[in-house]
Amino acid sequence: MSPARVTFRRTVGMAKSLYATAFAFAGFLAASAALFAFNLDAAEGGRTGLAPLWAVSVSPVLPVLAALFGMDVWSDERKSGRIDLLLSSPVRESDLVLGKFFGVWFLSAAGIAVSLVSSLVFLGWYAPALAGRASLPGFIPAFLALAVQSALWSAVAVAASALSRNAAAAATATIALAVALPRGAWFAASSWGAGGRFGFGEFPLDAHAFDFASGLVSSGTAISYAVFTWAALFAATQAVSAARLGGRSLSAARLAAFFTVALALVFAVLASTLALRLDKILDIPLGGTAETHFSDRTHGVLAEGRGTVDVTAFLERKDPRFRETAHFLRAIKREADAASGMGVTVRYVDPVLDLGEAQRLVRKGVPKGSIVFERNGRVADAMPLGESGCGEREFVSVLERISTPFRRSCVYWTAGHGEALFDDYGPEGASDIARDLALDGYASRRIDLAGSAGIADDCALIVVAGPRTDFSTVELDRLRAYLDGGGSGVGGGRLLALVGSGGASGLSSLLSEWGARPSAAQTPAARTISGTDAIVDDFDPDHPVSRPFAGQQVVLERPVAFSASAAASASGSGADRKRYSELLRAGGQCLAAAVERGEAASDLAVRPTRIVAVGDVGFVMNAKLRAYANANRDFFLNSVKWLSGRDAMTESGTEKDRLVSGMDRAARARFAAVTAAAFPFAVFVLAMALTFRKRRRP
Amino acid sequence: MFEVRNISFSYRSRQVLSDVSFVVSPGETVGVVGDNGAGKTTLMRILATALAPDTGGVRVDGHDALRDQMRYRRELGYMQENPALYEDMTVKAYLGYRARLKGEPEKRIRRRLGEASDICRIGDLLKKHIRTLSFGQKKRVALADAMLLRPRVLLLDDVLAGLDRTMRESAGTIISSAAAFSSVIVTGHELEDLARWTTRFLVLSGGRISAAIPAAGLDPATVLARVDAALKGGAK
Repeated sequence: MSPARVTFRRTVGMAKSLYATAFAFAGFLAASAALFAFNLDAAEGGRTGLAPLWAVSVSPVLPVLAALFGMDVWSDERKSGRIDLLLSSPVRESDLVLGKFFGVWFLSAAGIAVSLVSSLVFLGWYAPALAGRASLPGFIPAFLALAVQSALWSAVAVAASALSRNAAAAATATIALAVALPRGAWFAASSWGAGGRFGFGEFPLDAHAFDFASGLVSSGTAISYAVFTWAALFAATQAVSAARLGGRSLSAARLAAFFTVALALVFAVLASTLALRLDKILDIPLGGTAETHFSDRTHGVLAEGRGTVDVTAFLERKDPRFRETAHFLRAIKREADAASGMGVTVRYVDPVLDLGEAQRLVRKGVPKGSIVFERNGRVADAMPLGESGCGEREFVSVLERISTPFRRSCVYWTAGHGEALFDDYGPEGASDIARDLALDGYASRRIDLAGSAGIADDCALIVVAGPRTDFSTVELDRLRAYLDGGGSGVGGGRLLALVGSGGASGLSSLLSEWGARPSAAQTPAARTISGTDAIVDDFDPDHPVSRPFAGQQVVLERPVAFSASAAASASGSGADRKRYSELLRAGGQCLAAAVERGEAASDLAVRPTRIVAVGDVGFVMNAKLRAYANANRDFFLNSVKWLSGRDAMTESGTEKDRLVSGMDRAARARFAAVTAAAFPFAVFVLAMALTFRKRRRP
Repeated sequence: MFEVRNISFSYRSRQVLSDVSFVVSPGETVGVVGDNGAGKTTLMRILATALAPDTGGVRVDGHDALRDQMRYRRELGYMQENPALYEDMTVKAYLGYRARLKGEPEKRIRRRLGEASDICRIGDLLKKHIRTLSFGQKKRVALADAMLLRPRVLLLDDVLAGLDRTMRESAGTIISSAAAFSSVIVTGHELEDLARWTTRFLVLSGGRISAAIPAAGLDPATVLARVDAALKGGAK
């Protein structure tokens, strides 16, 4: 058995017989679980993955654990005089140091493993909604990330212990070096810096844990950890060897040892700087894919798209948005690879470090802090990043636009009857949804049905967004003619109508002619929040518009029900055949209907007439989209896509990668109490009992 | 042949050892005696490579021991003045750990343990935790540790301190038997006991070897008188 292994076993064996080990384990579990519960609460609804969240919760406590385990591995040997026995044994000092280091590291890793397993188990109990994310394989990268960090802290703890006879002094030095000094310096720099804390980005040690935890490994950071771990172990070896140098004439040798350690530290700093300068970000698929849950729409766009899009994140690596953006792009690339449709390549260009590439992008007019989309070496689009980084919806919209460049078309909005308008930014306007339409490649324009210009050829569909007054006969005739076959191209027109009770009886009549008759009065809802609105979660599972919404909800403020009119039931044959679908149902009432005349599949040359009618005038008003977290926006966008013939893209855009624990306030409190208090206490009692038993054994 | 040549050592301004030189032949047991603070423990620590001398060297069969320390340490057994053992271990586990640390192959450890426990008479202690042992028993365990791999050089610092008469006699027997395979250097103040089984006394005084007094085959009383005189002379 090698001396290092013998020393490792002794270190672990000794720890098992100490009450301090029970304290250290329990304290670590309590502190890391408390941080995890706090961070889980703070990250609710965000995009942070569960595993990186756990990693950044454990990371700040790790140095304390290593300090407690490592504080007496050498100081106790020195204090008791056993160091003489070790130094007179036929073993190299480096082997002894390595053995003790591996012992402390193993104990720290055991602490991390217990914290991991307990977190997963309790998450499973208290947050079943996270069951899909809280799987052991998905957390392995996080465990490895923390193991890498704990290696460094274990080495620092062993070095501090080798330098001191006093275990408490060694622990204090370790905590000062690993916790107080770096975090204090960072907070001070953040506070005093001109740009405030955000100018400095996230605290590097936590950020490393976060990145590594999701498989995004920076080669420079990994090398830095390895080099500083080596430097700490080298310092420990020198300190142990220097225990021999007690004589007066050996002061020169002691000084030489000191300078050797100083040189090793200088080397470590230089090597680390070089490694960070030549940094490469490695995307290691360690199971991090379990952390990405893209929307159906994203899946659809990536699967339907063709060719390759080169995506470049053009921002500084110290930018606080870099991390989120890099994670997002990496996940998109994985998703694209898995979908086997559109190819996506991802690069990172730092405006400060990657000067050549940065200059190329700047010459093409790309601003710093953007995501650049290139096809065949040409910049196809550049998306400026918002404060919170890269949004999935915006990103995928650009991808969709690039992959289908010639399908850009117009959505015409009727005006003059009290409708919500795309260029109205007030609470009753529809500017928010118009912005989403623009992202999807639709231009919004007004249409004057009474004017002489008629309906333009680029009209993909007409939106009637909740008229409060009636249409004139001329306008209704124009609409009739458009739907009946006067639209652009061959075949019928497309209409998306948001209708309320009363006010626009002409429009109601028109819809009835096509099969969907709106009721004259508001419909009482079975499920409601305010008493007048309706919460709807019953969707037609077969229709392209409503198919992706299973499990989601839309909210109609003043719902109006539809019924199938005689026109729908008197179905014709072939191209005249109408198909009536109830897209939304609540309490046996239909609150949104779709009508299609003609079947595209049977005769592609004929464009079918399509109508979607939603029984709520304020369905996509700005106030509603901003106030509620519901699927109204997706339902509207799906309707537009189906109406404009982009059936394949009619998928839910609701982002599924949001972290939703499903825990209410009481459940959160219980989760925190059990993981941060009850479980650590149980571990403490068990560990104390085992140690007591071991020590009492005759 | 174990040779100590011109070893000197000083702590800050205090000269502890000055030009200490002597030779110990195989099978010989040399007792290094001196007053408190004479430098006995420092000398033993230097010989055990736990402390580096300011000047001087150690040679074993012509090899420079302090230069090729790993080779030297494989041939070395060292027992400290105060036995510092791992209190949480059983005697058997401790000796096994020490044997493994010294590089003894796994298959030979059981035999080594058996031999050491026979010589040091600790068979009944093997399963006991070290923290439950008396001081004397701990000393026997430390002695067993030093003799575990049958070292060619055995350094025993203040080996008889704190032991009762029976224990001291027992230790004498153990050390005598160890001399069969080792060059033994012991330190201590128990001159009567040491005189019974050492072959030579070295009197350490003022950091120097002030006298070398043969003891083998001589009347212990005569030897003691000469050692006593040398110690008193050194004190003057």
